[in-house]
Amino acid sequence: METTTPTRATTGEFKPGAGFGTLFKLLRRVRSWAGNAFLAAYAVATLYPLIWLFISSFKSNQDFFGKPFALPSTWQFENYAKAWKVAGIGTALGNSVIVTFLSLALTLLAGTLAAYILSRLSFRLKGLVMALFVLGMLIPIHSTLVPLFIMMKKIGILDTYAALILPYTAFELPVAIFVVAAYLTSVPKEVEEAAMIDGNGYWGIFFRVIFPLSVPAMATVAILAFLRFWNDFAFALVFINKQALKTLPLSLAVFSDGFGTDYSLTMAAMSIAVIPTVVIYLVFQEQIMKGMVAGAVKG
Amino acid sequence: MAAASRLRSFILVGLLPALLLYLIFVLVPIVWSAFYGFYEWKGIGAAKFLGLANYTEALRDPIFWKALKNNLIIVAASIFGQIPIALVLSLVLWKSSWFHRFVRSAVFMPMVLASVVIGIMWGYIYHPQIGIVNYVLDKAGLHSWIRDWLGDPKINMYAVCAPIIWANIGPYMILFIAAIQNISSEVEDAAKIDGAIGYKRLYLIVVPMIWDTIKVAIVLCISGSLKAFDLIYVMTGGGPAQSTELLATYMYNNTFNIFRYGYGSAVSTLIIVISMSLVLGSQLLMKRK
Amino acid sequence: MMKKLTVVLSSVLALSTLLAACGEKQGGDNTSAGAAKSGAGSSKIKLSIWHNFSGDDLRAKAVRAQIEKFKQANPEIELDAQAIPPDGYRQRLKTVAAANEMPDVFFTQSGTSIKEYYEGGLLQPITPLLDKYPDWKNNFFQGAFDPLSFDNKVYATPLSASATSLFFYNKSLFDKYNVKVPKTWDELMAAVKTFKDNNITPISLGNKAAWLAQSSILSSLANRVTGTEWFLKAAKQDGAKFTDPEFVQALTYFKSLADAGAFQQGFNSLDNTQMEQYFVQGKAAMMIDGAWALTNMAASGTKEQLDQVEVTVLPAIPGGKGDPNTISGGAGGGLALSKNVTGKKLDAALELIYTVSGPEGMQAIAESNSLVNYNVKIDPAKVTPLFYKAYTLTQNVKFTPVYDAVLSSAGAEAINNGLQELLIGGKPEDIAKKLQDAQAKSIGK
Repeated sequence: METTTPTRATTGEFKPGAGFGTLFKLLRRVRSWAGNAFLAAYAVATLYPLIWLFISSFKSNQDFFGKPFALPSTWQFENYAKAWKVAGIGTALGNSVIVTFLSLALTLLAGTLAAYILSRLSFRLKGLVMALFVLGMLIPIHSTLVPLFIMMKKIGILDTYAALILPYTAFELPVAIFVVAAYLTSVPKEVEEAAMIDGNGYWGIFFRVIFPLSVPAMATVAILAFLRFWNDFAFALVFINKQALKTLPLSLAVFSDGFGTDYSLTMAAMSIAVIPTVVIYLVFQEQIMKGMVAGAVKG
Repeated sequence: MAAASRLRSFILVGLLPALLLYLIFVLVPIVWSAFYGFYEWKGIGAAKFLGLANYTEALRDPIFWKALKNNLIIVAASIFGQIPIALVLSLVLWKSSWFHRFVRSAVFMPMVLASVVIGIMWGYIYHPQIGIVNYVLDKAGLHSWIRDWLGDPKINMYAVCAPIIWANIGPYMILFIAAIQNISSEVEDAAKIDGAIGYKRLYLIVVPMIWDTIKVAIVLCISGSLKAFDLIYVMTGGGPAQSTELLATYMYNNTFNIFRYGYGSAVSTLIIVISMSLVLGSQLLMKRK
Repeated sequence: MMKKLTVVLSSVLALSTLLAACGEKQGGDNTSAGAAKSGAGSSKIKLSIWHNFSGDDLRAKAVRAQIEKFKQANPEIELDAQAIPPDGYRQRLKTVAAANEMPDVFFTQSGTSIKEYYEGGLLQPITPLLDKYPDWKNNFFQGAFDPLSFDNKVYATPLSASATSLFFYNKSLFDKYNVKVPKTWDELMAAVKTFKDNNITPISLGNKAAWLAQSSILSSLANRVTGTEWFLKAAKQDGAKFTDPEFVQALTYFKSLADAGAFQQGFNSLDNTQMEQYFVQGKAAMMIDGAWALTNMAASGTKEQLDQVEVTVLPAIPGGKGDPNTISGGAGGGLALSKNVTGKKLDAALELIYTVSGPEGMQAIAESNSLVNYNVKIDPAKVTPLFYKAYTLTQNVKFTPVYDAVLSSAGAEAINNGLQELLIGGKPEDIAKKLQDAQAKSIGK
């Protein structure tokens, strides 16, 4: 933060002799340089697992076990083709995309609407409703497997996309609501009042004003929700029967037979699965950052 | 009054989709599951009504308490590890420069990886013979520090916290960044004129303004820590000898490995109750601040 | 820009609700139409089979090939074959069992697993099939049906044999240090000492998953000390208890291995694949593991490494009541039949079971490097040399029960966790008591 205000440094409260001035500037430069170096090192270290994943995906099983951290002795590009075929990644990818994006849309829409109401409007049962949503965040999802299964069977939506989309959305709603609500509390009341004066009803306020304003929060929720839906295994395992509808995490599991795992193919399949998540993250984080650049912070 | 009824109808219609979905797919199963907790049920065949027997059995089981303790260790590690680090990072990495974007993405990357990959990776980092940690210690001459990180019951719970913290900083950092950018620029400028830089800026300006977001982050932290399952399941399976057992793995084992659905459901309900109390407690604590 | 985004999102929302509704309706229509069809007994018979042979290994492929054969040979039957990854198999099966939605035919492990389905009243015996093909029935090993039968009726035939305590050793390491292949416990301890003195890990162990030590080592070791009869009585809590001195003694023997430093450092955080790796790479002299190791080692070891590996039985215990020429194991899992299958569907289901588990299936499975409880002539050229060694070994030994196949699931959990505790310093008496309590409680005694 200090680096961006060189002018401040020389015109700030400290006004010792010129010599000290340059010394401080130098120290500040060194500090920021060291800080940046540390950040860079941390970034590389944190990225390592991703790199490791990609490198491992080109190894044979022998290589993987023998030298897990070294470069592959031979680069097995065919791992990818084989993994794609054996795990049926093509179909699974398509299904994951459909399920995840529909759930995402539903979550963002219903969630932001509810967040707006819960954070800025008051009504009688508000406390109760909020508490209810908190409850949902606390339950380990495995305990709802059997009840959900029985219920969805009764409704008749098992083995369809809805069997995943609806529970996914429902479970992500509390998080979505809380994140967006917290964000909305810092929006000044004047904004709503101005919109009302312009002759908007509540729906107008929501769609024309609140929704656009909440983009950074929604982008945050989008990233978190996307990851949850894309990587879910438990629900997809139990609620979907048809091979044609199976999602990506399920297709990744075929490489282990309970007693041993074919890691070379698993790593390749996982590398394929990881790419969309990286892309989505980059896309949505731009949305978050756009708000920043739009003149807000100039630390 | 027309306005009031318009407001009411808006609230009703607006909340309806979320509430309806949530009610059907989350609340009903939770209640159902709590209901199972009163029965002895193998999942197949008849269920025997037990009253509170499952609940009392869980509360008397030393493994349950051990699991709770382990979860609390994770909660502490998360709240005091993830959140401060995420906060600091969000303040340092706010620019949209190429470098900052790169570091932010790197910090977030672990979230993108499936738990299985993180588990395998850290399994190899902690590997007793060929792992990086022991290798570095060995080369640095610190032989006495070499351990069986994941297998030694005295330290494995703490060893396991490292990947948990490391993997989960990302979302909180993003959360804070989104909130920080919302702080109006006037407030920022006023603060600058008053000479607030660095830490001062952090305490006096930023933290109070995003306090609500921090509260949400803590709630997410607590709920996530008490539900923690994936990483531990892959890295240690809750062992050895249940030294890293967590409430969620304990519940999972009882439901799907030992097939005591009733007991497993009782444990789940207890998890919810404990989580709820912790969350409420934390909110109360933070209100006074 | 914002407006466009909103429009897109809302239309997607509308679309998804529409899709969901459509999906539901369609699902509803199909089932009612399907029910009507099979009710009328006309055109297509629908059959469902679930199994966990979903991988890329030879055995999985062999099983799937047999199922495919059935499908091709029976075009009038609509076969829904689900290959579910083993990781989620039990979970999924148990969930549908709880909702009473079992598939018509499904694979299940022998012993406690199939027992739970039987006790839940979900199965019917496959006697008509055995009666129809007596030659096939008689070609199974003696006792092959035992863990899959209740009340003198057979509910499934084993698709493969389980052999969990194969004693692998590295011939070249033994030759190098002039160590005799141990036939008795004392010889084993001597071998351990020699290897340790020369900085070679005596026995490779990876007990992260907790069932390994129990299934591979304890099952056989305890059997040599206590004998099979005692174990079966103790499991039923009928005339024997796990706190009896012979079991405590078995645990003490096991502990003495750990105390002598026979295992590599950190074994409690290594899984069985890493343990097999360690051994096949020549870093350990011995390994006690199951038949699954054969496939795993074949996948990750080089030919030279595999050639060094030999296999035999666990050493004998002095004064033990058990027969030393045994391996723990027995019948593996098989295809069970749901109780709800009747009429024409039943005939189809039985034929399906026969196609997979019959002589043809047995031959195919055996040649995929899997042991079977059936008399087959294996062509050595079709299987790996190591498998052939193991296969020959199993032809000449008897099988003893594997602990987790006989104990209740709660008992199995208790001994698994108990062994992990034992190996890091627990006391044999305490572990024995824990097992005793868990087993007694779970069977209602």
